[in-house]
Amino acid sequence: MNFLQFMMANRQQVLDLTLEHITLAGIATVLAALVGIPLGILITRVPQLSKPVLGGANIIQTIPSLALFGFLLPAPWIGERAGRLAVLALALYALLPLIRNTYAGIRGVDPAVVEAGRAMGLTDRQLLFQVELPLASGVIVAGVRIATVLSIGVATIAAAIGAGGLGEFIFRGLAMVNNQVILAGAIPAALLALVADFVLGRLERRLGSVHLKS
Amino acid sequence: MTIDSIRARRQPIRCKLLLLGLVFLLFFPSTGCERHGDRIVVGSKNFTEQLILGEIFAQIIEARTPLPVERRFYLAGTFLCQQAILAGRIDVYPEYTGTALTAVLKQQPSGDRREVYQRVERGYESKFGLRVGPPLGFDDRFAMVIRGDDARRLHLQTLSQAAQFTPQWRAGFGYEFMERPDGYKGLVASYGLRFAEAPRIMDLGLITRALKDRQVDIIAGNNTDGLIPALDFFVLEDDHHYFPPYEALAIMRGGMLKSHPEVGAALGELAGAISDDEMRRMNYAVDGEHRDPPAVVKEFLRRRGLIH
Amino acid sequence: MTAPLSHGSATEGPAIEFDHASFRLNGRPLLEDLTLLVKQGETLVLLGRSGSGKTTTLKLINRLLLPTAGEVRVNGRATAQWDPIRLRRSIGYVIQDGGLFPHFTVERNIALVPRIENWPRARVEERVRELLAKVGLNADLASRYPSQLSGGQRQRVGVARALAADPPILILDEAFGALDPITRSEMQKEFRALQRRMQKAVIFVTHDLREALFLADRIALMEQGRLVVDLPVGEFSRSEDRLVRAYVEAFSGLPDISRV
Repeated sequence: MNFLQFMMANRQQVLDLTLEHITLAGIATVLAALVGIPLGILITRVPQLSKPVLGGANIIQTIPSLALFGFLLPAPWIGERAGRLAVLALALYALLPLIRNTYAGIRGVDPAVVEAGRAMGLTDRQLLFQVELPLASGVIVAGVRIATVLSIGVATIAAAIGAGGLGEFIFRGLAMVNNQVILAGAIPAALLALVADFVLGRLERRLGSVHLKS
Repeated sequence: MTIDSIRARRQPIRCKLLLLGLVFLLFFPSTGCERHGDRIVVGSKNFTEQLILGEIFAQIIEARTPLPVERRFYLAGTFLCQQAILAGRIDVYPEYTGTALTAVLKQQPSGDRREVYQRVERGYESKFGLRVGPPLGFDDRFAMVIRGDDARRLHLQTLSQAAQFTPQWRAGFGYEFMERPDGYKGLVASYGLRFAEAPRIMDLGLITRALKDRQVDIIAGNNTDGLIPALDFFVLEDDHHYFPPYEALAIMRGGMLKSHPEVGAALGELAGAISDDEMRRMNYAVDGEHRDPPAVVKEFLRRRGLIH
Repeated sequence: MTAPLSHGSATEGPAIEFDHASFRLNGRPLLEDLTLLVKQGETLVLLGRSGSGKTTTLKLINRLLLPTAGEVRVNGRATAQWDPIRLRRSIGYVIQDGGLFPHFTVERNIALVPRIENWPRARVEERVRELLAKVGLNADLASRYPSQLSGGQRQRVGVARALAADPPILILDEAFGALDPITRSEMQKEFRALQRRMQKAVIFVTHDLREALFLADRIALMEQGRLVVDLPVGEFSRSEDRLVRAYVEAFSGLPDISRV
């Protein structure tokens, strides 16, 4: 039978694994955004920190994902549950695009506009929330998009340490040397990534277009 | 007029964000709690014997209860199965007492079958809330396996006898065997073994072929490996009783048993139902004769009168 | 919320005063020993080439910069002692091309300072309508975005925004510099009419002598960070100063210079 028939025959499991996958990638991205976006804002305020913060996130990203999962295994509390471990590793992985895009987005705001805002007496907080963040929002959402697609992809590896998700089909298919099973994992994962990319891409374009100067 | 049109513009963006938030919230609870409702998910590791045992569990549950059973096999190892059952992603899987004791509960191995079983039962209950079924009837302990013709030629029966010859042999072991406290290290210590060179570490699936093809001379196989009789391999006797028992049994989620005690009853019927020999035969049917595990299992269950 | 600066009646001193103020950046002097004052109701034009220190001078008024020597006083108090937020909200700031927020409508741009000063909604709306009329813009432009406006319209919005909270001080930096000559001339005329009605202290920066002669009560000529002359507009063209003569000559080749 072809892989579509396989997926129909096992649709409950496909659904289960897909839900697990979305949960892993989703929570990780949200966590990374909750930490990464404020960090990105911080380093625009404290320039001396920009190098170490960006450098640190960069280093984390260069660690091969499977190795990162492995490093965290012996950690107390985190290493005890594959789900926690996977979410943490995925979140760490997603940090760089979020921090970097937030930083670049805010720095990319027309300095004349920021200066005009400051000159009119906006407090730093008002400048951030009413001027810089809205104008940087397109670039920031681009960072969220990249982080999300990245997380969905790396989450396939999470199955190797027992966190479930669509990667489980892939590893199982490899062990069974069975392509249907591999595809049953690979194709939904790819579709998830494409959908996320599309939806967030629309949002990104919408946010970016409001501010186009003539 | 104009302030409202500003608000109207921002509405769609806020709506989309809310929608995304809701979508996430929907999926939030799905880590770790009982999502399956009325399904039983049977897991297993990724080698033949486990696939057979998992299939046995699944088929007997299907035969005895009206519950639908989902199979989630090929999980690549003890750690993954443990994680899956703790997170509620599977409800039951086959495990071995020796593995449970040393790799999961991280306690010292022991040679006493009863004692090991009791420690596993107590440990799993108190530490994880997991329940342990009765032993299925066979022991899949580690077996040091050599080629039949070497055994006959050198008149070898026990590991102690083989110890004089191992410095001329190459050894092949799997990852788990190398890492586990009841594996390689202890073995070498107990018998004072030395090999011609450092052992080759290989995938379990390739290890039997390596022995047959004379790429290695001694492997850490399993007592119930189907290929042992088929390929004319010989199991050296563990005369120092180094290897702890590895009685097979079912690990079950406490929560699942509470809601579905009939599952526990069904699995309980398997107590003592599978002998060493029976297991070897089923393993061989799949590995050697390349038959499908579900068919092999159905045949076995019928033969034992457990299903019709 | 503290009351905004009054329009000069309570304090008798100058609205803006530079007292030997200097500004250095990384050792380079951008402004040296400037002493200057602007009274309430007076329009001072800062004239000079690029690099003469005009923009630096403006930024010292609203505390975007602090003097490295000497003092800058607004309404009698040193800028260093002012709360920067309160100071800046009491000063209207207009720059070239408006510096409008591209993601705000015209209305939201103009309403910026009143909103952050927590004016009641009705008052804000009314004020925006009033200002649009004052700067000669059609009321239905209020819901447009800056990118949908012409350069001249943007500039008018910039002025409206600066006037929104009715600040007693107005500083303009080459405000009409990016406009075409016809629009520029219109804006100058309208601005002069506005200035006659309001009695603000205005500092207007330009490098265009004709604009200076048209709008100023007094002209301060700057060169390389120093004040060269500070004269009432009527006396400026008659000055014997070498640099003034250079300026006048540079502009005298062009028609309509005889506004002395």
